[in-house]
Amino acid sequence: MLKYSLRRLLGMIPMLILISIVVFSLAKIMPGDSLSGEIDPNNTNPEYIAEMREKLGYNDPLPVQYFNWITGFMQGDFGKSTKYKTPVADVIIEKLPNTLFLGIMALVITYILAFLMGMYSGRKPYTIGDNAIAGINYVMLAIPSFVAAVFAIYFFAFQLNWFPFGGSVDIIVEEGTPEYWLSRLHHVLLPAIVLGAMSTASYTQFLRNDIIENSRKDYVRTARAKGTPIAKIYNVHILRNSIIPLVTFLGFDFAALIGGAIITETIFTYPGIGQLFLDSVSSRDYPTLMALTMLLSFLTLAGNLLADLLYGIVDPRIRMD
Amino acid sequence: MATTSTLTQQKKPERSLSPWQIARKKFFKNKLAMISSAFIIIVTLLSLAAPFLAPYLSPIPDVSKVNISSMNITPNSDHWLGTDKSGRDVLTRLLYGGRISLLVGFSATLLVISIGTIVGSIAGFFGGFVDSMLMRFTDFVLNFPFLVFVIVLNTILMGIIDGLWVLIIVIGVLSWGGVARLVRSKVLAEKENEYIMAALSIGCSPFKVIVKHLLPNVMSTIIVQATLIFASMIVVESALSYLGFGVPQSTPSWGNMLSSANEPDVLQGKQWIWMPPALIIIFTILSINFIGEGLKDALNPKSLR
Repeated sequence: MLKYSLRRLLGMIPMLILISIVVFSLAKIMPGDSLSGEIDPNNTNPEYIAEMREKLGYNDPLPVQYFNWITGFMQGDFGKSTKYKTPVADVIIEKLPNTLFLGIMALVITYILAFLMGMYSGRKPYTIGDNAIAGINYVMLAIPSFVAAVFAIYFFAFQLNWFPFGGSVDIIVEEGTPEYWLSRLHHVLLPAIVLGAMSTASYTQFLRNDIIENSRKDYVRTARAKGTPIAKIYNVHILRNSIIPLVTFLGFDFAALIGGAIITETIFTYPGIGQLFLDSVSSRDYPTLMALTMLLSFLTLAGNLLADLLYGIVDPRIRMD
Repeated sequence: MATTSTLTQQKKPERSLSPWQIARKKFFKNKLAMISSAFIIIVTLLSLAAPFLAPYLSPIPDVSKVNISSMNITPNSDHWLGTDKSGRDVLTRLLYGGRISLLVGFSATLLVISIGTIVGSIAGFFGGFVDSMLMRFTDFVLNFPFLVFVIVLNTILMGIIDGLWVLIIVIGVLSWGGVARLVRSKVLAEKENEYIMAALSIGCSPFKVIVKHLLPNVMSTIIVQATLIFASMIVVESALSYLGFGVPQSTPSWGNMLSSANEPDVLQGKQWIWMPPALIIIFTILSINFIGEGLKDALNPKSLR
C-alpha cells in the first residue's frame, strides 16, 4: 500500500508540471501582460513602461519567464493582484475560509440527507417510500445546480424570507460575537443545501444498495437467529459495513465541490474562491487567475488521488502494484 | 396459384426479431421515455421553426433589437409570456434560445462521442504502448478542473473565432475522457471474441475490424452514453451562459435568458422573465435523462421489461 501510495504521489508531479505549463501558456496567450500587476497604470510614459518591462523580465525568452514564474510560485510568491493591488496570496487567504466553510457545510448536509434517505430505503426496499426517495434523488441529480439555486433563492429567500439571498455575513454584526457566527451560518445554509443536494443522490443509492446486499449475508442471519433486535442489526451491524465504502466518494466530491462552488458562490454572491475566480477572469486580473487555476487544478488532482487511495484502503482487492 | 402461395407462406420459418427490433419494441412500451421523446421532439421542432413562427407569436418578432416602448410587459394575449427588460418577447426568445442551446448541446455531444470513440477504440484494440500512451493522455484530460479551464479557454478564444463554435469546441475537447475510458473497456472485452480473430486471420485491416466488427457491438453503450452526455452538455452550455462565459450575450440561449434572474428585482417581481427558461431547462434535461434510461433498459438484452 505504501509503495502504491508513493508511486501515485510521484505520478502527480508530471501532471502538475504539465498543468503549470498549460496555465502559463494560457496566461501568455491572453491579451495584455499577464504579470503586469507591478506596473503603475497611471504612468503612461513609454520609457517607464519599457524600463519596468525589462526589470520584470517580460523581454526574456519564454522558457526563462516560465522558470522564473514557477520558482516564485513554488515559494509562495504568486505575484500582485492587478485589481486589489495586494499580493495574490493575501487575496486568496482572505476568501479561502468562506469557501472551506461552504464546502464543509455542503458535505455535512450531503451526509445527513444521504444517511437518512439511504438508511430508510435500504431497510424498506421496493416500498412506496423507497420509490419516492429514488424519484426525488433522480430529479435532484438531473436538475442543474444553478437552476436549483435560482429557484431556492426565489422561494426561500424572497417568498418565505427564511434565508438572506446573498453575502456571507450581515454587515451590522460585530466580528467574533455569537451573533456573528449565527449570521454566517444563516448565510451559508442555503448555498450549502443547494451544493450539497447535488451529490446526495449517488450517496443515497450507494448506501441503499449496500444495505440491501449486506442484509442478505450470513452474519445478519446469524444475528437474527440469536434474537438481536432488527433495529440493532440495521443500525449497528449492517451500517458499520456499509459506511466504509462511502468514504471513497469523498475524493470525487472534492472535484465536484470545486466546480459547484464556482457556480453556487456566484449565484448567491457569496464571497469565496469561486466568485474570486470568475471575478478575476472578467476583470483580467491575471496573477490571481493563474494562482487560482493552479490551486483549483491541484485540489482536483488531490481529490482524485485521495479517491484512488481510499479505494485501495477500503477494498484491498483493488490494490494494484 | 393461391394454394402454392399459402404453402410457401407456411413453409417459410417465422423470422425472429433482430436485437434492434426487440430494443425498439421495449422502448416503445416505456411510457416515461415515450412522453419524454415526444416532449424533446416538440421542443426541437418548435425551435427549428422559430423564424417562421415568430411573426405569428408576437407583434415584435425581432428579438435582436431593444424595444423601449414594450419593456417588462406582463403576459397577455399579445405577448403570451410577456416581454423582458429590453422589450423582447419572452416566448420568441425562448424558441430562438432553444435553437442555440440544442445546437450547442448536440454539436458538443457529437464532438465528445467522436473523439472518445476514436481514442477509446484505438487504445483498446491495439493495446500495449499505444494504449498506455493514449490512456495517460486521457487521464491528463480527465484530471483538469473542467469548469475552470472551459471558462479560461473560452475567454481567450472568444475574440478569435465566432463565439458559438468556441464554446462547442472548448467543451467538446475537454470532456471526452469518460467516453474514451468506457469505449476502451468495452472494446477490450469485445476483442477477445473468436470472430475478431477470424476477421484478423482472413486479413482484415485493423481499421476495418474496428469500424465493421467492433464498433457495431459497442454501439448500444455509445448510444446510451451519448444521450446522457447530450443532457450534461446542455447543462454546461446554460450554466456557462448563465455565468456570462458561454454564448455571447447578444445571442439568445436558455442560459443567457436565465441570467436575468441575477437581478433581485427580476427574480422577485418579474417571474415571467426567468421562470420559462428555468422550467424548460429542467424539463429538457429530465426528458433527455428519461430517454437515456429508457434506451439503457431497451438495449440491455438482460432486462426483462
